[in-house]
Amino acid sequence: MTATQPRPSDQPRHSLRTDVLEARPVNLDGFVEEWPEKGLVAMESAFDPAPSVRVEDGRIVELDGRQRADFDFMDTFIADHAIDVASAEESNALPSAEIARMLIDPRASRDDVLAVTRGLTPAKVLDVLKLMNVVEIMQGMQKMRARRTPANQAHSTSARDNPVQVAADAAEGALRGFAELETTLGVLRYAPLVAIALQVGAQVGRGGVLTQCALEEATELELGMRGITAYAETISIYGTESVFIDGDDTPWSKAFLASAYASRGIKMRFTSGTGSEVQMGNAEGKSMLYLEIRCILMAKGAGVQGLQNGSISCIGVPGAVPGGLRAVAAENLVASMMDLECASGNDQSFSHSAMRRTARMMPQLLPGTDFVCSGYSAVPNADNMFAGSNFDTEDYDDWNTIQRDFQVDGGLRHVREDEILLARSKAARALQALFAYLDLPAVTDDEVEAATYANSSADYPFRDVLADLKGAQAVMDRGITGLDIVKGLESAGFHDVAENLLTVLRQRVSGDLLQTSAVLTADFTPLSAINDPNDYAGPGTGYRLEGERWAELKKLRHVTSATDPESEVR
Amino acid sequence: MSASLDTGLTRGDYPLSVNRPELLRTPTGKPITALTMDAVVSGELSAEDLRIAPETLELQAQLADASNRPQLAMNFRRAAEMCAIPDAEVLGMYNALRPRASTAAGLAALADRLETTWSAPVCAGLVREAAEVYARRDLLARAGAEDGEDTP
Amino acid sequence: MTTATPDRTVSLRELSPAVRGTRPDEVVIAVSPAFAGHFTKTIVEVPHAEVLRQLLAGIEEQGVGARLVRVRDTADLAAIAHIGAKLSGSGISVGILSRGTTMIHQKDLARLSNLELFPQSPLLDPAVFRMIGSNAAQYAKGESPQPVPTRNDQMARPRWQAKAALLHLKEFECIEAGRGPVEVEAVFELTDAG
Repeated sequence: MTATQPRPSDQPRHSLRTDVLEARPVNLDGFVEEWPEKGLVAMESAFDPAPSVRVEDGRIVELDGRQRADFDFMDTFIADHAIDVASAEESNALPSAEIARMLIDPRASRDDVLAVTRGLTPAKVLDVLKLMNVVEIMQGMQKMRARRTPANQAHSTSARDNPVQVAADAAEGALRGFAELETTLGVLRYAPLVAIALQVGAQVGRGGVLTQCALEEATELELGMRGITAYAETISIYGTESVFIDGDDTPWSKAFLASAYASRGIKMRFTSGTGSEVQMGNAEGKSMLYLEIRCILMAKGAGVQGLQNGSISCIGVPGAVPGGLRAVAAENLVASMMDLECASGNDQSFSHSAMRRTARMMPQLLPGTDFVCSGYSAVPNADNMFAGSNFDTEDYDDWNTIQRDFQVDGGLRHVREDEILLARSKAARALQALFAYLDLPAVTDDEVEAATYANSSADYPFRDVLADLKGAQAVMDRGITGLDIVKGLESAGFHDVAENLLTVLRQRVSGDLLQTSAVLTADFTPLSAINDPNDYAGPGTGYRLEGERWAELKKLRHVTSATDPESEVR
Repeated sequence: MSASLDTGLTRGDYPLSVNRPELLRTPTGKPITALTMDAVVSGELSAEDLRIAPETLELQAQLADASNRPQLAMNFRRAAEMCAIPDAEVLGMYNALRPRASTAAGLAALADRLETTWSAPVCAGLVREAAEVYARRDLLARAGAEDGEDTP
Repeated sequence: MTTATPDRTVSLRELSPAVRGTRPDEVVIAVSPAFAGHFTKTIVEVPHAEVLRQLLAGIEEQGVGARLVRVRDTADLAAIAHIGAKLSGSGISVGILSRGTTMIHQKDLARLSNLELFPQSPLLDPAVFRMIGSNAAQYAKGESPQPVPTRNDQMARPRWQAKAALLHLKEFECIEAGRGPVEVEAVFELTDAG
């Protein structure tokens, strides 16, 4: 509006190198100073309570310096449901350094550690973790992860909520190795169609992959009850009473909900993470990790089999303070040392810096967790309706290469393009046939063709959104269930896909997937912490990437053949 | 059904779908082996056949106990009690447990209903415990208020 | 981040305890405890003076009047906007936090509901604030405007999430418990660049 402002002459001159550094992507990330009084601190705060516990008449009457009469509802729930009263005083009397050493000492088995940790108070757990650096935290995770075999989970969503895209990307994701696939919506009313597409695509890609659709509690539970989805995880819990109430829940309501899922044979885990309380302005002056430990113990007390944690949607908060990623690695370890399944984050846009994005996941990838990402984006991030993940489809080859470089199993593998195209095409055709059978809005041959070769939602023909939304409503009104999907697929000649889905549905009758860290293998064997317990006992033991699986992970898009250096290994 | 409540399962029995399929039945009394594609196509199966039975949840609770996971076992036992409660009522009960959603009398009535109508004493215990804590932490609905969410 | 606007500052002069308006054609702009006081600009450095100028211009271009109110005893946006709506003669308010997060509210809606919410404060620029003012005024006239298009930026989280939390905590510190909303007058001043 006015003349250009004169550049103040008292600005110091910058070096050319400073200009280069200023332009680096990492400087687009936000960093803030700690403010421990308000809880804006990762895990080292003078304001966290000192550990203490006192038991009277088989009841915990003092917890971390607080007397029973002063317990808030988190203290009460943790004292009455999470902590093993019989061992509490003895375990808490152990020096924290001794417990920290047990976590990294291969001569102490996972069960030995659990015998101690099940009696610990939140502040004692924090006291132990504060002694551990990030390498020690990884060592602990390597042993304490509940399931011996690590796995990975993906997001499969569409910026246009296009079910054809979701089916094709789910098929590719399942084929590439994800054991679980999760979707959500831009327009919530689309949920039934997209959830069906996810299920069909998953069972095309690899039979036994489990699917879920993140929605508000009632609809999420209903889709699960109908057998359209196989598990649930967006059941949020918080570390302070006030934030828990802001979320319109209590530990008791959430515990009741956990049982509701189990009563329908549906696998379920809670979600929590560092930073959520301070983000909502009510950290009560406690560090992010201390509050997350309270969440983890609350989840344990509720009897839920697992937890998605690792800051999740608040990763920008611990990511901005000193030691934040150490705390995030620590919270994953705490979930595992409380004997819970841990789906360990790495699922939200985290940094502008590729180097930081990779560094962020190393403490989960290297030791292995039950699910290294609780949402690797199996669609381009622009299509990711969880607001973007730390990794997306563009990173597939990088991920596979890192697995090969370090000989670690991050749950994925390189798949040849011809196999991928087959799976994508088949998923779209199966959905086409199923929609026709169920009298839902048609999937055209053009859409099948687009799905086969597409990258993102922009590569598909537009669908008639109003017709789709009507169809979605019809799925609910007509009471369509997983069984109808099986029938439709079978009658349309997709016998193998129908059989895969029926086998997944049959699992809920057995309840095997309700046990800790359960997944379904390609031959439909439930694999959980019971029949695949982590038996790490030092070098040469535990899960090792070897044999057939290692041979599979040696493959990349381009590897020069040793026998014929003029060609590449196929 | 066999005396499955006293099977003394051990970890070696897991997964039941592989190792002990003879113990598994649908709530409608069919053996799990009856859940075949032929049965789907011929229309013999309904969605009700694909639900978990309370007896199965008790078996899984025994496995959780045998794996040293008492809280998980307790969750499965609450779940076993809930199997018979219709979906909508389960959701209604969950909503009644939200903060400031129910009065003390409302929660007491819910606990009684769980105990008497649905033979769900463990769930009833959880609700009574919640009522006690909610009273102490000011989380009961204010008497006369339709919902807790009005004045800031 | 720099805008072409001249350096304009605003201070809010407290007039009297806020009362329910009687004009059916007014919108109340309800600002948070630290707005144009402890803080002077949004999270992306849009001066609060510019925010108010655009909101007022957007309201006035619809032929609707505006009143300014400062809420002092809460930093919760839904609460601020709902208090503003209940004070508004039309029942419509725009609530705004210091960092820029904004909401259009209506007095008969539940507090946790709203007409339009703009949760991503880093994406709110002067043009958006003008559209928000305009939409609020249209609601006040009983019209049903197209919602202001919301923007989305997946990289807003890594860049702004922690700063937003910090600003929120600071705003909390400016809460004056037990003090009711007060009607304020915006005093704009143009300052020299030097």
